[in-house]
Amino acid sequence: MTADPGASAERTRLAWRRTGLSAAAVALLAARPAFSPAAGPGTYLVAAGALAGWAALVALAYRRARGLRLQPPRPGQRTITAYAGITVAFAILATVLVTL
Amino acid sequence: MFTSLVDNQPVLDQWFNPQKTPVVGEKPDYRFSLANERTFLAWIRTALALLAGGLACAQFLPPLPIAHLREGIAIALLLLGGVVALRAVDHWARTERAMRLGADLPKSRFPAILALVVAFGALLLVAAVVIKAVG
Repeated sequence: MTADPGASAERTRLAWRRTGLSAAAVALLAARPAFSPAAGPGTYLVAAGALAGWAALVALAYRRARGLRLQPPRPGQRTITAYAGITVAFAILATVLVTL
Repeated sequence: MFTSLVDNQPVLDQWFNPQKTPVVGEKPDYRFSLANERTFLAWIRTALALLAGGLACAQFLPPLPIAHLREGIAIALLLLGGVVALRAVDHWARTERAMRLGADLPKSRFPAILALVVAFGALLLVAAVVIKAVG
């Protein structure tokens, strides 16, 4: 018997990576208006918040990958709730950006 | 959605500690927990795609003939993304709990509702494009 039949820990780790890449696209789109010549302080703040949120998401995924390397892999708990919370924060930040 | 106060465990506590209380039956096979986690991540990607769509609408569409229609579409997509992310964590926590209790997995109308909302929005935009092309 193999250590992890179905490679579920590895598939979960790759799912975290895919999600992180999607988050990178959202963070870059939220930071994009800060590079226009007409950018104001609000736009800069939103860009800073988006990039900080993205860094936090990457850190959470990194932490989760350590839990997945254990044998047996540890189920995700607070990391998952925090990840969803930051995604909601992205939604609020993006709404502020559109209404600026 | 937020009323699953079974055994007096508050919803927020359920989100943060789905494994804590009460521990009835067996700890589920970790593969089931990881499958639940991947489902959560797939919903988060759906939420992120809605956010990217909303931001792209606001940044790349030209101003539309109706005032603020572009911003309206963008904000609708962004709010939908936020709701999808909140619902993702709630559903993950309730599934985790049901697996521990050996109960049936939670049923949800949310995927059907989301599909209908997206389809309705798409049809509305198709109609707008056709009317503009004809008129």
